Amino acid sequence: MSRFESVTCLGCGCSCDDIAVTVDGTRIANVERSCTLGTKWFGDGSTAQSARIGGRVVEPEVAWAEAGSRLRTSSASGRALVYLAAEVTTDGQRAAVALADRLGARIDSVSSDTIARGILAAQRRGRSSATLGELRDRVDLAVFWGVDPADRYPRFLERYLPRAGRQFIAVDVGEARGPADADQRLIVSAAEELGALAVMRAAAAGRLPPGLEGPMAAAAEIGKRLTAARYCAVIHDAEPGAIAPNPERAEGLIGLTQGLNTPTRAALCGLRAGGNRMGADQVLTWQTGFPMTVDFAGGAPRYQPARPASALLAAGAIDLVVVVGDYHTLPPGVAGALDPNRTIVIGPNATVTAPPEAIAIDTGRAGIHEGGTAFRLDDVPLPVTALLPGPLTIERAVRQLQQAATVAR
Amino acid sequence: MSSLRIQGGKVHDPANGIDGAVQDICIRDGRIVDALPADAPIMDARGLVIMAGGVDIHSHVAGGSCNQVRRLLPEEHLADPAPAPHLVDGEPQPRSGTGGTVPTTFTTGYRYAGLGYTTVFDAAVPPISARHTHHELNDTPILDTGFYALLGNDRFLLDQIGRGEREKAREYVAWLLGATGGYAVKIVNPGGVEQWKNGGRNVATLDDPVGPGKTTARTILETLTDAANVLKLPHPVHIHCNNLGQAGNVATTLATMQALAGKRAHLTHLQFHAYGGGNGQPWCSAAPQLVEFIDGHPELSVDVGQVMFGNATTVTADSPVEYLLSASTGRKWINVDIELETGCGIVPYTYKEKAAVSALQWAVGLELFLLSKDPWRVVLSTDHPNGGTFHSYPQLIRLLMDRTWRDDVLKGVNQKMLAGSKLLDGLSREFSLNEIAIITRAGPARQLGLTNKGHLGVGADADITLYSPDPDFSKMFSTPRFVLKGGIPVVEEGQLRRAPQGRRLMVAPAYDAAIKKDLAKYFEAHSSVALANYPVSRELMGAGERQ
Repeated sequence: MSRFESVTCLGCGCSCDDIAVTVDGTRIANVERSCTLGTKWFGDGSTAQSARIGGRVVEPEVAWAEAGSRLRTSSASGRALVYLAAEVTTDGQRAAVALADRLGARIDSVSSDTIARGILAAQRRGRSSATLGELRDRVDLAVFWGVDPADRYPRFLERYLPRAGRQFIAVDVGEARGPADADQRLIVSAAEELGALAVMRAAAAGRLPPGLEGPMAAAAEIGKRLTAARYCAVIHDAEPGAIAPNPERAEGLIGLTQGLNTPTRAALCGLRAGGNRMGADQVLTWQTGFPMTVDFAGGAPRYQPARPASALLAAGAIDLVVVVGDYHTLPPGVAGALDPNRTIVIGPNATVTAPPEAIAIDTGRAGIHEGGTAFRLDDVPLPVTALLPGPLTIERAVRQLQQAATVAR
Repeated sequence: MSSLRIQGGKVHDPANGIDGAVQDICIRDGRIVDALPADAPIMDARGLVIMAGGVDIHSHVAGGSCNQVRRLLPEEHLADPAPAPHLVDGEPQPRSGTGGTVPTTFTTGYRYAGLGYTTVFDAAVPPISARHTHHELNDTPILDTGFYALLGNDRFLLDQIGRGEREKAREYVAWLLGATGGYAVKIVNPGGVEQWKNGGRNVATLDDPVGPGKTTARTILETLTDAANVLKLPHPVHIHCNNLGQAGNVATTLATMQALAGKRAHLTHLQFHAYGGGNGQPWCSAAPQLVEFIDGHPELSVDVGQVMFGNATTVTADSPVEYLLSASTGRKWINVDIELETGCGIVPYTYKEKAAVSALQWAVGLELFLLSKDPWRVVLSTDHPNGGTFHSYPQLIRLLMDRTWRDDVLKGVNQKMLAGSKLLDGLSREFSLNEIAIITRAGPARQLGLTNKGHLGVGADADITLYSPDPDFSKMFSTPRFVLKGGIPVVEEGQLRRAPQGRRLMVAPAYDAAIKKDLAKYFEAHSSVALANYPVSRELMGAGERQ
């Protein structure tokens, strides 16, 4: 038995790094301090170690040769897509971007079909934010905008916004509800949401219009409370859920938190799912200048935010997709539009989760079989640990695919 | 064993007293040697000007803040695609990218090398995100790189200072530099960023209290300056003073210099801290006052932070300043409060010839260069990308070398705030090639304590730039004919041909291990990151070189 302390969990974007993991040979025997989501994410560490073509188990060399050949053919037409799914270390993501650059392919990540509106809003306006420890140290008033972190980010409050000594305000937007035990609650319909945001911004600017009634009057009171706080945080769920948010919400929240920095201090915190999704945004940005939807076909990166992977696939604009990462983490719009016969999946448990028609090559999982770096939802980089021996790392697998495609050229 | 004789060029190597002499430079295994066998390969450098590779003492090229800039400005990247260069051997894989005010990592390496620079320091890295910076620097080819760790608003340090425990603060500095792979200590608006994060907006003077206890900007400056000097770091403390960009801030800057007089220290982007006026009086240049002080204090060095007309992006840990800039310009704005350590503010900005403040800033920077008696201690920077990008260095060099051109540009700028400016009075000084070699490589290398860089003496790294003389100095310095990095020709006939991996420059001072007990308690109580996960792995620091 061996015990690992201060292990980083990638079960959600909180990336709690206080986990203790006990390993027995090639299995995870025990996980301490993790939430239910984290415990599930660690599992027992077992993973497939195989390769498959069209449902047939093959030797890895055969899979590489076939994948390389197909990739060469499609990249020659400029219609290949490298798709960054989750559960990949920063080094694996770096290798994937290098592959797309070398092939003149397109590259995209889960961000374009999940959080693109937030990214684009921040590109128009900027944003006011803080790292999670800063929230824990400073915040005296937190607003939960249509989200209860307990649902999908179970340890967020415990680790980054413990209840003691601060006030919580829940803003329920339609069925999207804030924490049940909030000190104050604003209930607005989806149609009233942007109006409430505008009223709060007006309060922050000291320019509240007269004659507000109903939910707008309540929003004005909350706006005044925010303005009087020492440091407020606005928490929202950046990821899509069962209820689609107003497409203008992200920009409205940015405007509110920026505006609050004149009378007081304020930060916006968007909750994100796990598996180092933030890392994909970061690596794409430092290597291409854009956080998603990049096309290398012209010889240099071009930004095409209006053409996310789901749209390209649905339009039949892609001949071959190389999924790098956990197939399970593909957004429905991407998974549903893939042609399995024109798909290569390189990732953890690929031979188990990918459609049988695809070429699937198993790799390790970031933070369980592969060490390296992952980014927390607030852009803080953390080390992840290889707890268990596993198959080929994703980084090496992607480089091997690149070599196979290059040799085939 | 590789060797090369660079034959017949005019050598400008001020560190070794050589000013345009025609002589050979001999290289073996990446270093400069005294002599080579007669049959060693030869590079014909007749007619070319030879200098050491450029050394940038203050730039912002890699890490969380730079990536925030990139993410904020897709429009700049769309306008400046950078296809992969054609390298001679295809290895490592040449990479495409984009430019703009903060280019992507690979493009940054290629473009810096294309200007003849071979060593670059990122001037502001939050220690908590050092891991990110190392990743980006590993993707920045050719250049030897390092970074300065932000410490001037670090809560652990401020607590020690507040309790009068300066020795413990020093131990912390030593531990932190080693843990993160940093090269030097950076102070940004000491105490002011902590005040901003704490709701106090900023500090105004060196003696404003910063939280409880004895902590003030002054005590932060004194403690960290002493720490860097006692630890014998190769580069002294690197200071971005309080009140950046404010009219009348020369009083703060002089007070800072006086507080540290007699101690080795480096003040950065001095141009942004060199304004008179304020309190109802119009802005004006205070460059002469600062130059006089610096000339009389050999323990001080500065880089200028020249403003160049055109697009820039202001990115700084001085987040209260960026709040004010966003409020005054209405342009998009990023603020990130970084736990326990520092902040980050970003606002795109355009310096316009016809804008009075921009013109004043431009003139102040040139005055600092031209009035200084000691170019070794007043070295070149634009605080890339804050005052202008590194792409503009050749134009800046021309402004310093060509008075006629400088005066022509001066005629076209807004004169409103230039009354009394020495530049308007007609500064006749024109920098020589040797002086350019001093402010762009020999001087920065000396201030950084890089004994193997910035010169062409025996034992130096064979980082060498060869220029074709041209009366248009901007053109001459824009397109080096050859650039060698560690003896490898990375630029040949003006074309980028190779892109080897550079080395990381860092320090690892000894420290008393007892500090880790204090840190364990502190991290447990305050940090969102486990202490065990804070240090960066040696593997990620790449091909490092401890100084």
